[in-house]
Amino acid sequence: MRVKLKSGPDQRKFIERIEELSGENVFACYQCGRCSAGCPMASEMDLLPNQIIRMVQMGLDEEVLRSKTLYLCASCFTCESRCPKGIDMARVMEAVRHVLDPKGQDAFGPCELTPELARELPQQVLVSVFRKFAK
Amino acid sequence: MKLHYYPGCTLKDKTTGLDISTREAMKRLDVELVEPDGWTCCGAEYPLTGEKIAGLAAPIRVLRQVRDEGGDIVVTTCSFCYSVLKRSNKALRDDPVKRKRINAFLRDDIQIDPLTKERTTGFADYNGEVQVLHLLEYLRDRVGFPRVRERIKRDLGMLPVAAYYGCRLLRPKEEMGFDEPDSPHLFEEFLEAVGCAAVDYPFKQECCGSYLAVSMPDAATEASYRVLRSAKMNGARAITVTCPLCFYNLDHRQETIKTAYLDFAGLPVLFFTQLLAWALGVDKALLGLGDHKVPADALFVERPAPEVRT
Amino acid sequence: MTAKTPKTPKKPKDKRIGLFVCHCGVNIASVVDVEKVAEALKDYPGVSVSTDYVYMCSDPGQQMIIDTIKEKHLDGIIVAACSPTLHEKTFQEAAKLAGLNPYQIEIANIREQDSWVHSDKEKATKKAIRIVKSHVEKAIQNEDLAPITVDVNRRALVIGGGVSGLQAALDIADHGYEVILVEKAPSIGGKMIQLSETFPTLDCSQCILTPKMVEVSRHPRIKLLTYHEVDSISGFVGNFKVKIRKKPRYVDETLCNLCGECEKVCPQIVPDEFNMGLSFRKAIYMPFPQAIPGTYTLDAEHCLGLSPVRCGKCKDVCEKKAIDYDMKETILEEEVGAVVVATGYDLYTMQALGEYGGEKYEDVVNGLEFERILSASGPTGGEVLRPSDGKVPKSVVFVQCCGSRDTEHHLPYCSKICCMYTAKHAMLYKHRVPDGQATVFYIDVRTGGKAFDEFYQRAVEEDKVLYVRGKVSKIFKEDGKLIVWGVDTLTGKKLEVEADMVVLAMAMVKADGIEDLLRKLKIATDIHGFVAEAHPKLRPVESLNAGFFLAGCAHGPKDIPEAVAQASAAAAKVGDLFAQAELVHEPTVVPVNDELCSGCGICVTMCPYGARTLDPDKGVVVVNEILCEGCGACAAACPSGAAQQRNQTDGQIFSMLRAMLRE
Repeated sequence: MRVKLKSGPDQRKFIERIEELSGENVFACYQCGRCSAGCPMASEMDLLPNQIIRMVQMGLDEEVLRSKTLYLCASCFTCESRCPKGIDMARVMEAVRHVLDPKGQDAFGPCELTPELARELPQQVLVSVFRKFAK
Repeated sequence: MKLHYYPGCTLKDKTTGLDISTREAMKRLDVELVEPDGWTCCGAEYPLTGEKIAGLAAPIRVLRQVRDEGGDIVVTTCSFCYSVLKRSNKALRDDPVKRKRINAFLRDDIQIDPLTKERTTGFADYNGEVQVLHLLEYLRDRVGFPRVRERIKRDLGMLPVAAYYGCRLLRPKEEMGFDEPDSPHLFEEFLEAVGCAAVDYPFKQECCGSYLAVSMPDAATEASYRVLRSAKMNGARAITVTCPLCFYNLDHRQETIKTAYLDFAGLPVLFFTQLLAWALGVDKALLGLGDHKVPADALFVERPAPEVRT
Repeated sequence: MTAKTPKTPKKPKDKRIGLFVCHCGVNIASVVDVEKVAEALKDYPGVSVSTDYVYMCSDPGQQMIIDTIKEKHLDGIIVAACSPTLHEKTFQEAAKLAGLNPYQIEIANIREQDSWVHSDKEKATKKAIRIVKSHVEKAIQNEDLAPITVDVNRRALVIGGGVSGLQAALDIADHGYEVILVEKAPSIGGKMIQLSETFPTLDCSQCILTPKMVEVSRHPRIKLLTYHEVDSISGFVGNFKVKIRKKPRYVDETLCNLCGECEKVCPQIVPDEFNMGLSFRKAIYMPFPQAIPGTYTLDAEHCLGLSPVRCGKCKDVCEKKAIDYDMKETILEEEVGAVVVATGYDLYTMQALGEYGGEKYEDVVNGLEFERILSASGPTGGEVLRPSDGKVPKSVVFVQCCGSRDTEHHLPYCSKICCMYTAKHAMLYKHRVPDGQATVFYIDVRTGGKAFDEFYQRAVEEDKVLYVRGKVSKIFKEDGKLIVWGVDTLTGKKLEVEADMVVLAMAMVKADGIEDLLRKLKIATDIHGFVAEAHPKLRPVESLNAGFFLAGCAHGPKDIPEAVAQASAAAAKVGDLFAQAELVHEPTVVPVNDELCSGCGICVTMCPYGARTLDPDKGVVVVNEILCEGCGACAAACPSGAAQQRNQTDGQIFSMLRAMLRE
């Protein structure tokens, strides 16, 4: 499948929105891959964190949309603490989720819980997972 | 002396052991922990995108309440609460726009007393007057580990314990400022102060899986397993945490972990305040050991401390 | 110092000034109406000729100036053009050819100060007119000046005995000048003598360096001072006075015959710094077999006590009676005309990288430690054995960019040599352990030098070194094995590698503690503590401080071919300096008018070059015009007006201001 690499107003808008929301300069990333190397969830991901930001650099929003990577981020900030360019990849992940999925595909919502599990879970988990992944 | 203390929702309901042991331990250090009146959930997640300013309202409300009660410090033990409160506080202090908007939002806040039904409104703006501290920092900087050592009543027998920092205490470094993310030592200093032998192991700041335990359980199981395995391989007889979610992942889900990874035999998970309380002479019944799924009672052995060494 | 003062200046009279306004193509002319400027100044008092031209600095442009000076008998000219830093010299030379004193030239900057920073044409043109008028006012009062001259002491001081220092010393000495080479270690050789083989030729490092070392030690014009340190320096270019501290070796190098009996009986064991702490030496030691001078040195810090009461064993067994515990530190004074700074580098500390274990793991080593392991004269005799248990590592991971290219936590710059030496390390490892696995984690592979890329390809294609593109996130130990967490960004896979040994390519940084010396020499450094060059493109081997030259890694990360080239270049520059019959110095300095000077001494404290002193007998300030750089700080501070800069007096400045602000 040939990807048409464009850098028109739509791509620019997408990139600018990501940068605005995350507060990070995505072009500072020189693709060293350290974020992916230290990410505890990277082995489960289809696109690695460094690939996500690479897609953003190239304005390829549709590629990122299909990835389940966005819902595997645990916001542990290991990426942020090790990035040699000081980029907070967790923020970029959140911004991408926000932009590509504003209505929330409800990756994880209350319907996914059983009553027993809901009773057992610490409240903070419920609050966190809904805030990150629900509509 | 009285000290403002923010327990967070989970401590009051699911991990009462952490709450009770914290209070009892601090009593032994002559500190009475006082909760801010009518406190509410901190929100659990610090909003990572610039636009979700509403997410700052809940934590700032807590801090405002502390300030209105005359407190200039609030202490917490839950890593999630600590992270949200501290980061929100800094965001408000650094960014005048956020400060203005949150204060505008909170000005319309109405607080209703649950007993008297009295309504309070028209609060003064909050400008970052309160300092957020983790209990470990408080113990090191305000109480001092030497003073803790003086009050020790029980000898923990150099029990080899792994300190588990998790993610939120240490990262992001610029905002949390707790310790060096890749070579921290505050938690180990604490363990040594209460008479345990701190175990060095490479997974002390690796993620336990966090909220993915609910949405992607297998990924979280593996992450928690790696932490527990590393601690055990390096000689730990227990692993100590400060976060109720880490506790849930490492303790409550240990059965799931053992089923998925047959080579793992099990490791008790403790809250650091349980060790502190026990060392300071608190009764076993008040440690909240009943909350644990992995039995930990056997670790708490009656052994009086030798003469106080300063 | 013999400074010659200029001739008596001409009295200012009605000047005949020529104004030449340059278009600079469209650089100036597209914003400033240059013809209008020339026209506006045509009848200005003092101006005899006023014209414009497209490129003043060109040959026809300059010729026009020369011809006009002669035809119109001009005694001052103003070139309204670009910044004087570019072409002031050009026009001064042109003026000289026309028989005009070069200090009667004024450059009015209407490009960097006008056309390049404004877009409003009308206002920019008016501004240009004001600028030019102010320079006319200054030019009216300019005097003829002659450069100040001083003798040169044709001896050089080279600080640092590594390959750069050795090369510079040899080149200067071969020119025919005397050189003093100061090295603080007991032997010369620097870091290069510690290396095993060098890229891209895989030459044995010691084999190619020792001939230079021997040549230096035998050269009739090189005074080799090892175990010495520069203590202080004073003076100015061509005329430095240096104090050099001789550290006591406690062994007379002329008597020591290297029998080695002292070493055998010494009870003190010290980590051997030559072998990067991987082996031990005694308190009395020779750093390495080919050390020059060939003598033992007694390390007082680790000696039991330098007296027969405490130990005295070495002295007892020394046949030649070379050991003398009573040696003391002495200071020698030397006079030189130029200084070459070749003080080398150090490696960034592994302690800073907590995610790689800090310095916890014995089998995680840096580049220099691995060089010693590879070296035939090293702690393992050239066999690749790992430090912890001496076993042969079957899987070695090499990590590039450790501490470098990191704007967030460590050093932002690229350390330049690591890609090449990592390829070399991996290759040499594979040559010695053919069934071993060598994996290199990189972000980029930088191989810009001659035959460099071919060398790296050889590592990949012939020696089967696996190159993985991804920066390592964490290194830790589990079950006795080192685990490396990396990623392959090219296949998009997170990787975990089990390694027996890890080699970190740590960034090159400034030499440890070098700030103290550089402060004493008063030479500028950049923000990373490396010695600053005078111009990054065009003056790479000189410091901004006259008389100081730089060579090697003291200036920044570089490899051996570059270090040698830079050293020879620095030597050539020293040669330039020494080739002059006398040194000339710009005369636009600030002398003292004895009659007005009250001896308050304010200007003395203002001077950053230490050029002014209060003469206690005369009660006035005296200036060393050679040291004065004409910055004007004293002139600004002087309350009585006794300090007036030549061709930039207070009177001239006020005239300029009046011309600028009038109307």
